[in-house]
Amino acid sequence: MTTHVRDAITVVHGPQGCTHHNFSLLHATSLDNDRIALPTLVSTGLSETDVVFGGEGALDRTLDLVIARSPGAVFVLSTCIVETIGDDVGMVCGSRTGVPVIMVPTAGFLGGSFQAGVNNALTALAGMAQPAEGNGRVNIIGEKNLEYEIDENFAEVSRLLALLGLFVNIRFVHDLATDNIASLGAARLNVLRDPSLIPVGEYLKERFGTPYIPAYPVGITGPVAFLESVAGACDIDSRRAVDEEQALRRETLDDFADLAGAGISFAPLTPDPEGSRAAQDIAQALRLDITPSGCPVPVPVTPPIGITGVRRLLHRWRRALHA
Amino acid sequence: MKQIALYGKGGIGKSTTSANLSAALSQAGHNILQIGCDPKRDSTRMLMQGKLIPTVMDQVRERGAPGVTPADVVYTGFNGVRCVEAGGPEPGVGCAGRGIIATFQLLEKFGTLTGDVIVYDVLGDVVCGGFAMPMREGYAQEVYLVTSGELMSLYAANNICKAIERLSARPKSRCRLAGVICNAKNQPQEEDLVAEFARRVNSHLVQFIPRDRVVQLAELNRKTVIEYEPASAQAQVYRDLAVRVMENTRFTIPTPLEIDDLEALAIEFM
Repeated sequence: MTTHVRDAITVVHGPQGCTHHNFSLLHATSLDNDRIALPTLVSTGLSETDVVFGGEGALDRTLDLVIARSPGAVFVLSTCIVETIGDDVGMVCGSRTGVPVIMVPTAGFLGGSFQAGVNNALTALAGMAQPAEGNGRVNIIGEKNLEYEIDENFAEVSRLLALLGLFVNIRFVHDLATDNIASLGAARLNVLRDPSLIPVGEYLKERFGTPYIPAYPVGITGPVAFLESVAGACDIDSRRAVDEEQALRRETLDDFADLAGAGISFAPLTPDPEGSRAAQDIAQALRLDITPSGCPVPVPVTPPIGITGVRRLLHRWRRALHA
Repeated sequence: MKQIALYGKGGIGKSTTSANLSAALSQAGHNILQIGCDPKRDSTRMLMQGKLIPTVMDQVRERGAPGVTPADVVYTGFNGVRCVEAGGPEPGVGCAGRGIIATFQLLEKFGTLTGDVIVYDVLGDVVCGGFAMPMREGYAQEVYLVTSGELMSLYAANNICKAIERLSARPKSRCRLAGVICNAKNQPQEEDLVAEFARRVNSHLVQFIPRDRVVQLAELNRKTVIEYEPASAQAQVYRDLAVRVMENTRFTIPTPLEIDDLEALAIEFM
């Protein structure tokens, strides 16, 4: 996630393998979104000798090389081995002046999940921002950079905000310039990608006083509820926006009215209750018949976001029904 | 080939005992290799006329592992005793335990682990997996605990019994407790106390080594007592130890005590 801070460099303090597999993963998932990304990840390349004698020297030398390239910021991620042997990564980072060198604790064996690591990183990055004068805009917090439909989902949320006359401040963190981090605290509202980011939402609320909406709008019922929550938090009249969105919803249901009465069944890949619920709501709205002998239709692993997400799902259902 | 390891509380006299034992064994005609397993790297100093030999880990750090040869790490000292120091990091950084593992891998690769007797002198208490390396399969089969009659050194020796007990439970393990050596502080009834401790952990007192000024004198002269004052009573004690080590057949799985039992034992001999 820190590699999405455009002009920053991320250092992974540990053996090469820890960096390599992250590099591969980011590169490969970026290709899915038609982008060639060479994530700015640098390893301190710890060897067995570094482990025996301590790795702080290797980190120092790597920081020298990295800082010589004048990045906007340097993020230093720790790994299991350096926490086991007790390298004082915080001290090495703190001893640098000039460019911000921020430590993010990411050693897996100390507990916490992938999401905890993401939340720690977002919180560490948020520390680079100071309270700022309000600019009336809305931050998008914790987008899933590995998600296939990240930009479609963002476009949908931007569209809904625009219906209320609101505009996006920064995407925290997606393709972000270091300089833009400073305006993090100026937003009037934060929209979290999903509830697992609530610890970050709470941190930002405490630090900058910014309220938050805990999730993106899901499925066919999500968008109107989203508009009403956002309007409530910002003290805006939502009626016109809700009317427009409901019109869009009706138009979508009309576009797929040809599917009405078809028998469908769900074979979800994961037992995700939110995704299943969203699929059921959509099926009900279109008067589809959920029956064990129905044509199997896909239930996406991540629940569909907004009306455009619903449309994409319905196109897939139509293809399945016509096959 | 006999492989023995000496463990015991820091400062209790393991290195002094190991070096004198190695010297005595070599004079009895055996080919000896002593390996210091301690980042302080001072185990073999008295066998090398006070010289601190280059350590295995320093050589690896300076030349890279592929660049290190046996001649870089094995040094011959008093009476032909071959000496190796594992070395490791400075205090406060790194991982000395991993250094011990790396050292053993290198010595294996070199085929250095040969001789009539290999003596592993291992630091202080068994602090982590790395320092239990000498007790792993293929290395020391006989562990000697060095202790005085002081409660804290008995506590440390007892702790090491837990490691030996755990390791000897492994199916292919041949590591056993070979005996207890009392490096005396000249407390009253010290020999009886340590002998009783040994009995209660299912072992036996192999040698009582009195506290004698000649040990310090020899050390200041950068020699073992065997070399410095061969005719002394203390030198004879070390020779006796050497004989007992070679003839010892009592190898057991220890039965560690609880702290309460240790304290009760100490009180008995007050």
